[in-house]
Amino acid sequence: MSTLDLINISKVYGTGASEVRALQEVNLSVEPGSFVAVMGPSGSGKSTLLTIAGTLESPSSGEVVIEGRSVEGMAAEERARLRRRTVGYVFQDFNLLPGLTAVENVSLPLELDGMGLRASREAGLSALANLGLEQVAGRFPDELSGGERQRVAIARAVVGERRLLLADEPSGALDSKNADTVMRMILAACKGGVAAVVVTHDAQLASWADRVVFLRDGKMVDQTSRPATPEELIAPYRRQ
Amino acid sequence: MSIQHALLGLLSTGPKYGHQLRVEFEERTGDVWPLNVGQVYTTLQRLERDGLVQSDGEPDGPRKTYRLTEQGKHELDEWLYTPPDLTAPPRDELVIKVLVALQIPDVDVREILQSHRRHVLELMQQWTRLKENEAESDVALALVVDAELFRLDSVVRWLDAADGRLKRMALEAEPPAKAGPQLRRRSAVRR
Amino acid sequence: MATITQARDVRPSTSIAARRAVTRWAWRLFKREWRQHLLVLGLIVVAVAATVLGATVAGNSPPPLAATFGSAQDIATYTGSPSHLADEIAKLHERFGKVEAIEATTLALPGSTRTYQLRQQDPHGPFSGPLLQLIAGRYPSGAGEVAMTKSVASALGLQIGSNWLGLGNPRRVVGFVRNPDSLLQEFVLIPPGQLPNPTEATVFFDAGGIPPFEIGPTAQSRSFSRPSAALNAETISIAAITIGMLLIALVSIGAFTVLAQKRLRSLGMLAAVGATPKQVGMTVRMNGLAVGVVGSLLGSALGIALWLAYRPALENSSHHLIGAFALPWAVLAAAVALGIVATYFGASRPARAMVKTPVVAALSGRPAPPQALHRSAIPGVALLVAAFLLLGYAAAGAGAQPRPPALVAGLVTLVVGVVLLAPFSLALLAALGRRAPIAVRLALRDLNRYRSRSGSALSAISVSILIAAMVVVAGSIRYSSVVDYVGPNLASNQLLIQLPYTPGPQVATAKPGSVTKQAGPGTPQSPTAAMTRAVEKIASMVGGAKQLQLVQANLFLRHAAAGRQWSGAVYVATPQLLRFFGIENSSISPKALILSMRPGLSSLGKMQLMHGGGYTPGGSSGGSFPCPAYDCLANPQIQEISSLPSGTSAPNTVATEYAMKTLHLSSEFSGWLLQAAKPISAYQLNQVRVAAAAAGLQVESKNEEPSSAQVINWATAFGIALALAILAMSVSLVRSEAANDLRTLSATGAGRHTLRALAASSAAALALAGAVLGTAAAYISVAGVLRTNVLNGGLASLGNVPVPNLVAILVGMPLLAGLAGWVLGGKEPPALARRAIE
Repeated sequence: MSTLDLINISKVYGTGASEVRALQEVNLSVEPGSFVAVMGPSGSGKSTLLTIAGTLESPSSGEVVIEGRSVEGMAAEERARLRRRTVGYVFQDFNLLPGLTAVENVSLPLELDGMGLRASREAGLSALANLGLEQVAGRFPDELSGGERQRVAIARAVVGERRLLLADEPSGALDSKNADTVMRMILAACKGGVAAVVVTHDAQLASWADRVVFLRDGKMVDQTSRPATPEELIAPYRRQ
Repeated sequence: MSIQHALLGLLSTGPKYGHQLRVEFEERTGDVWPLNVGQVYTTLQRLERDGLVQSDGEPDGPRKTYRLTEQGKHELDEWLYTPPDLTAPPRDELVIKVLVALQIPDVDVREILQSHRRHVLELMQQWTRLKENEAESDVALALVVDAELFRLDSVVRWLDAADGRLKRMALEAEPPAKAGPQLRRRSAVRR
Repeated sequence: MATITQARDVRPSTSIAARRAVTRWAWRLFKREWRQHLLVLGLIVVAVAATVLGATVAGNSPPPLAATFGSAQDIATYTGSPSHLADEIAKLHERFGKVEAIEATTLALPGSTRTYQLRQQDPHGPFSGPLLQLIAGRYPSGAGEVAMTKSVASALGLQIGSNWLGLGNPRRVVGFVRNPDSLLQEFVLIPPGQLPNPTEATVFFDAGGIPPFEIGPTAQSRSFSRPSAALNAETISIAAITIGMLLIALVSIGAFTVLAQKRLRSLGMLAAVGATPKQVGMTVRMNGLAVGVVGSLLGSALGIALWLAYRPALENSSHHLIGAFALPWAVLAAAVALGIVATYFGASRPARAMVKTPVVAALSGRPAPPQALHRSAIPGVALLVAAFLLLGYAAAGAGAQPRPPALVAGLVTLVVGVVLLAPFSLALLAALGRRAPIAVRLALRDLNRYRSRSGSALSAISVSILIAAMVVVAGSIRYSSVVDYVGPNLASNQLLIQLPYTPGPQVATAKPGSVTKQAGPGTPQSPTAAMTRAVEKIASMVGGAKQLQLVQANLFLRHAAAGRQWSGAVYVATPQLLRFFGIENSSISPKALILSMRPGLSSLGKMQLMHGGGYTPGGSSGGSFPCPAYDCLANPQIQEISSLPSGTSAPNTVATEYAMKTLHLSSEFSGWLLQAAKPISAYQLNQVRVAAAAAGLQVESKNEEPSSAQVINWATAFGIALALAILAMSVSLVRSEAANDLRTLSATGAGRHTLRALAASSAAALALAGAVLGTAAAYISVAGVLRTNVLNGGLASLGNVPVPNLVAILVGMPLLAGLAGWVLGGKEPPALARRAIE
């Protein structure tokens, strides 16, 4: 069962003359543990695709299926529960609540779900520790660097065994070293069974994914096939 | 690719056997650019002829030791500190391909761009795998992988820019009434 | 061909051009962001309009003194035979020179009990001009002409040109007149000399400052009728608007802080291209000034417009004409000035903070984190202590006027102390909420984070509660005094008719050296038949009323302790009185000397009953209250009877017949209490006064004095309403930066309940903190005054806790705020996906 299924998703904004077709019959399936990158120029609809996948927006037509359950019929409360337990979303910036410490930010979805203070704090700390961020647990977001903030955001997106990670330009505002670190973290999560969809316009970041999907003018026009292993890459140049 | 300066560089740390030179070169470039034996010895001979290295008189073969001369050292220094000539752009096959495609009617240039884009991304995926697995500890390898990734990235960026230009061109060409699409493209393409 | 040299290098002075550019840019910004300014703008418009309208209405509601006095300083009324009247008028003329007399007689409308006055008056007389106004036709000039008020004309069925037969021979009606300052008066006007048999006369003169009781029993003086200057409508308006503007300044600090932070990036860019810090600050300040000016002018215009619309209604209800532009211009000017100052001040603080932000931080849109300076509670607490001492100093003494400079200084220090404590309270709240559920914790943390705006909102809320709580606490202490009893004098259906005051002979003393005391407002006088008839007439004027003859006991009650002294007459509990109020003889304890409805009097202790015509002074001379047996009885038995009336002028305290007998007390007749079936209308009251004056009696009706419940409950309601209004406007400010937070919360899966809880917690927390801070400060101020002022019983009076009102403030208001937050906070933000663009 795929973690995420987008079936014939279309999204239209506005009416009549000012109508904008952001997405046109896009289909996408993401298996557990796979890492998909969505590439496209600005205006191609990739961010909209992500917000629809994350139940932050409803499609004009089409179906969103998360872990076998269609989002269509869900009430607002159920969708919120989905976001608390299954879906982790990372924005390009302004991910963290400035009034909470890093560990409180990470445990936010758990606390919103009703987990007790102590249990959620432990879970948050272990999520941070897995990503090498224990030392920033007690600090507030405005005391952290940009890279640390995004990493904390990713920690929050994977805490508590979430299975779907959606990230919109997660490394957008970071330098290349920090960007790499963020992508490594996402990859590590995928190894743990999380399905990840990352929207980016940067080819180097997209190349971290198993599969790169190309959007143009709201349509999915292409995707990469399964890449060769590194050995296959270098073999033509080597003797024997 | 000329490897003579690379060999001069390897000799600057001390005299070495030919065989040693080959092994070290491969090691220091992350095994990415394997060298041909013949290529190595041919280059060494040429260097000796030009007076940049000096051999110890042994017969040609693995046991022959080479050392750097004063002139060779001077040549090495100059090469290291002189930036390469970047003024004339290399003949880029991809660019030529796109330029040709623009001339031909009934060819979907944007499709060509997309298929190249996909291919380049697939390549980049592989290089990134390499970075992920091995390049952590091997600095030399990391440098080479980065160089490749940035190079391929620049290709993707050019593809995106070209895409944008073509899209704008198509939009601008629309307003005048239909006078035949083929005619239009040719007139738009005229330089 | 001439060449024109281009004077390219001649530029205007940099500073002027720059200032103009900055001003232009600030104006452009204001135009673009006018919606964000609406909050502060709205506040100012409402405040200024309310002040203008309120001051004008309050100033114009009471009937002007001209209604009684015309343009004279003194008047005297007389009744009797025409020769007696002529005598009195001549006496006054001799004594004071120019006098004007209006003589009149009362006629009855045929077939009714209504009466009207037949008045002879010179329309162009020296003093009575303001009392007469011509509406139609002309004034009567000869023997056969009269004018009258429209009400009389319609009652008699007459018009201009008809004949009036009131005096026998027909006289033609030539015009309609009225008293513009007392529209209820009904009279017929005849020219001077035409009234054959006047029965009453009102004489207008200028006594040059001689007090009325030295002129005669029926004299009144304008200067003795004016209410005390301290509490007139204009003073209250200015005080109210000062406080109002203080609150506006506090709220606008918050509003302009938000605005400045929204523009942080633009301001940073401005600085980055070379604007000086002064110029950058100026844009925000100019903004504030513009808003203040626009708001004050709009508010004044609105206030004047509302006044013009309301004026006719006010004329009707107060029964006198009011000029369209009878506006208190001083108050208006003060309101406009204060509005501008308040907003300018409100904008200056954030302007200064913005200027201090480093350019780099500004460009990145991140404001500087809050300074640690404001976390300390010490400055605020120190100022509260200072206020406590200052107010004590101001009020020191037995109850004379408080020292104004110290009073003002104390109040200002108090308010500043509260303002300084606001940030600390926010930090305290955030610390207390550390273990709370996520929504509460987040709300408290955010309040603490955005300290400048939540702090200013909290200050404003605290100050409004402070004012209300001061009135509530002080009021409850004052009203709880059963010795110096305060409240409305009578019920609205009651009238007190008293015999006129004539200074009588001193009552003989029992012991030489002791001070004598008059035995009450009326000296022994029995009612004449004429008076009794007048009372009957009055009773019928109000539609039938029960009459009670009041007999005043010749005794005096004293509270043998420092503080307030006894107020109010003690009457005798005659059988008629007991019957009048439905008090059974059996319910009276046989040994009771005094019956009173004043709650708590019976258990007060230290009461002394002074009798015998004289009393030994105590209290002020060293604090001892000697009670020698010949004229004093310590601890008289007082019984509380709740059926007695509660008015201060009504018989709320009476002496039993047992007391009169045992103590051999004398008594005298002092008047009547009339109780009608329904409340007495202004029209009826007017007629009653005329009838009473004709009989030489004085009438007292319900005055405007508010009751305890009115003062305390209205203050509570007003304070809570004002605080909640400020809270409502501030919560939107405080959470306006929360768009990104809301996005994050929703994306992380916060449901509707969480968002509601967030809003409710913010609102309730601010309300609770404001209530606590304001009430605490109020108690500090009242305690400071009580400490040195023995008049109100010292610090022990604080034991009198107005529990229901304090519960409403401390519990009710936060609950209401939380509820409102819960209900209004449930809206899911519309564009979850997109980031809030400025």
